[in-house]
Amino acid sequence: MLIAVALSLLSLVAWECYWRAHGKLPDIDDNKDLWAVQRAKVETLSKEDVVLMGSSRVLFDIQLNEWEKETGIRPIQLATAGASPLPIFHDIVNNTDYIGTVIVGVTPGLFFSTTFPEAGPWKRAQTRVEHYENRTYAQRINHCLSMPLQKHLVFISTSEEGWSDDIDLKSLLNSVSLGAERLEKPQFPPFYKFEYMDENRNVRMSDKTANDTAFARTVKNVWQSIVEGNDRPPQKKETTQFFVEDAKKFKARGGNLILLRCPSTGLFKDIESKHLARTDFWQELVKATEAKAYHYADYESLKNLDCPEWSHLSGPDASFFTAELVKIMKADGALTNSKTN
Amino acid sequence: MLFNSLSFVVFLVIVLALYYSKIFKWTGKKRMLLLASYVFYGLWNPPLVILLWISTLVDWTAGNKLAIEENQKKRKMWLLLSMFVNLGFLAFFKYGNFLLENFTLGLNALGLAYEPKPMDIILPMGISFYTFQTMSYTIDMYNKKIKPARTFLDFALYVTFFPQLVAGPIVRAKDLITQFYEEKKATSQQFIWGTFLLTIGLFQKVVLADTLLADVSDQVFGSKEMLHSLDAWTGTLAFSGQIFFDFAGYSTCAIGIALMLGIILPDNFRYPYAAIGFSDLWKRWHISLSTWLRDYLYIPLGGNRNGLTRMYVALMLTMLLGGLWHGAAWTFVIWGALHGMYLVVERLLKTKITIKINALNGVLLALLTYTLVNFTWVFFRAREFSTAKNMISSMLFMNPEGSKILHGFDVLKVLTLISLLFICHWIMRNTSMKEVSKKIHPVILGVIWAMLLFLISISQGSGEQFIYFQF
Repeated sequence: MLIAVALSLLSLVAWECYWRAHGKLPDIDDNKDLWAVQRAKVETLSKEDVVLMGSSRVLFDIQLNEWEKETGIRPIQLATAGASPLPIFHDIVNNTDYIGTVIVGVTPGLFFSTTFPEAGPWKRAQTRVEHYENRTYAQRINHCLSMPLQKHLVFISTSEEGWSDDIDLKSLLNSVSLGAERLEKPQFPPFYKFEYMDENRNVRMSDKTANDTAFARTVKNVWQSIVEGNDRPPQKKETTQFFVEDAKKFKARGGNLILLRCPSTGLFKDIESKHLARTDFWQELVKATEAKAYHYADYESLKNLDCPEWSHLSGPDASFFTAELVKIMKADGALTNSKTN
Repeated sequence: MLFNSLSFVVFLVIVLALYYSKIFKWTGKKRMLLLASYVFYGLWNPPLVILLWISTLVDWTAGNKLAIEENQKKRKMWLLLSMFVNLGFLAFFKYGNFLLENFTLGLNALGLAYEPKPMDIILPMGISFYTFQTMSYTIDMYNKKIKPARTFLDFALYVTFFPQLVAGPIVRAKDLITQFYEEKKATSQQFIWGTFLLTIGLFQKVVLADTLLADVSDQVFGSKEMLHSLDAWTGTLAFSGQIFFDFAGYSTCAIGIALMLGIILPDNFRYPYAAIGFSDLWKRWHISLSTWLRDYLYIPLGGNRNGLTRMYVALMLTMLLGGLWHGAAWTFVIWGALHGMYLVVERLLKTKITIKINALNGVLLALLTYTLVNFTWVFFRAREFSTAKNMISSMLFMNPEGSKILHGFDVLKVLTLISLLFICHWIMRNTSMKEVSKKIHPVILGVIWAMLLFLISISQGSGEQFIYFQF
């Protein structure tokens, strides 16, 4: 037994050192438990607080520290990568009494994608809402116990997303290929993790993504593959109707709703301009909800920001974007309750 | 709470520390174990602990009445009360929606329009296990096979003992309650062996079932396409391995944890994929359930005492209900029916053919048995009949143009692992892990143990449930 314990500990130390030597850093997994912890905080928020929701653009582009520095309030980050914000907004409107500020990120390809419960963008968000409702006490304890391990150990790397560069045993085995592939269908390109997350779900793009164009290209390949594989037309009418209903309900009880369009470049900008045109989608949504709305292209300081992989801002640019955005919103009186006011 | 979770590690350390501390005497330790068992269960869904309490109270009362009551009619009433409560729980929580669906289908078939809302019922974890366990106590009391538990605490702990509460082994009262009468303490050898068994069980679950096999099985059975034969076979073989490692892994953990407390639980698996024939299979697979079904269903239905036809009917009924025990769906009934048919055919063949088993024909017959078992797993795993039908036709090489959905490495990985599993079961079929470990040098055993711990740690089990919890 002593040999077993000693040898296994030694092996784990060696394993940890090996991956650190290969440049891996400890990281928090953006899983449903982490999301649920943030969601739970909404139950006790006041009118002064801010809740963020949307997809990965809100996750990357709004930096919580910057926001807090500018307003004195740390927002709750509920945005979910690759997901529609509709189920999460629906949950907050219908299952809480929250009457503070909600900022909803509008990534046109996801926001207007679907209301079909089994479709990916909807299901990814709805699964988290359901997990929050149904999580067991054992799951909560497991999450609490796992946080210090995730924060300090590299080899604790199982992720809900299943990144191609995860180093748990299953991911390592999944990266093995026999050469001649027997599959007939084209394969999804490798998707490497390109950000870091903290325990408050603040996401920052990795320096490698911002500075290494070859690495950023791997992420662009994934976006290209997703875009080319998507043959479903947007469900503009259904999604807008669904959202507007909740928006009216939220505003009627005194909530402060703000719509936000974050920057995109390259392929995404082209597609969004061509197939999800601002006048047809964004402006109609703003009109229907009668909410305060901010489109990055309307502001000189924001419209030329670059997204290294077409969809998200680098860390420094995200800090700048957040600070500028807060200033603009404050100047408009959109954030009337911020403490610095 | 799951064995493969951080919270369980903390829970077990606290329980062991309290159990081996000098704070409590034996009764205090049993109370602590009982409380710990409720916490273990309640951390999943606290209100459902009430079901455990009701089951415990009803069977404790029924057992005590049966111990003193001589009037046969009244004895039967107490037995029926116990069965009504326990089977009532099962019927409502596990089969409620299934019964409603079939009732609706029946009415619709008669031309009556009826569309009820599905009932939003949570299936209490492990309900099939603990209701069967506690019912065995009352039935044995009715048949005067055992004496009543000495104290309520002993009985409550028997119903709720956390290592085997949610997925067995289903332990008989005579085998467990009596162990609670006197103070138990694991010897150092027992404690080390128990820890080793816990490691083996976790390795089976976390590494073999969840990391190496689950994805392939999920991908194949989740596919809507007509599959290539190799993909269909690989997916089915992966599931055969996954369910074995998942369930045997849980049982091994349970036996190991109990042993760390000095409590001995019976084996639940004995290398089932090396079984020669189906009678042999059911002596090796989920032994505690198959013996339960034999003693409390097959034998009361007449067993082999009333002629061949009645025996075959009893066998089929037992296996059909055994199938339904696993899940409220017709696919499970078909799974049970196939096993019933296999057993009937085997018994028929045995009356006509006598084979002297040697190494060569033995391994071929074991391989044939395993192949036939795999066809039953298709119905067990498939959520819909259409999936099962497609899988079976692909496995019978009827879809040469079927889709290839698995990577070459996944196919190789599953086929290698399943071949090793079969060889391992064949080599071990007449021995035990304990016997084999005695022949291995302790240093080598320590190195193997370290490798298992290392692989468990770097796999970090993402599986959120053991498959058998849902049963």
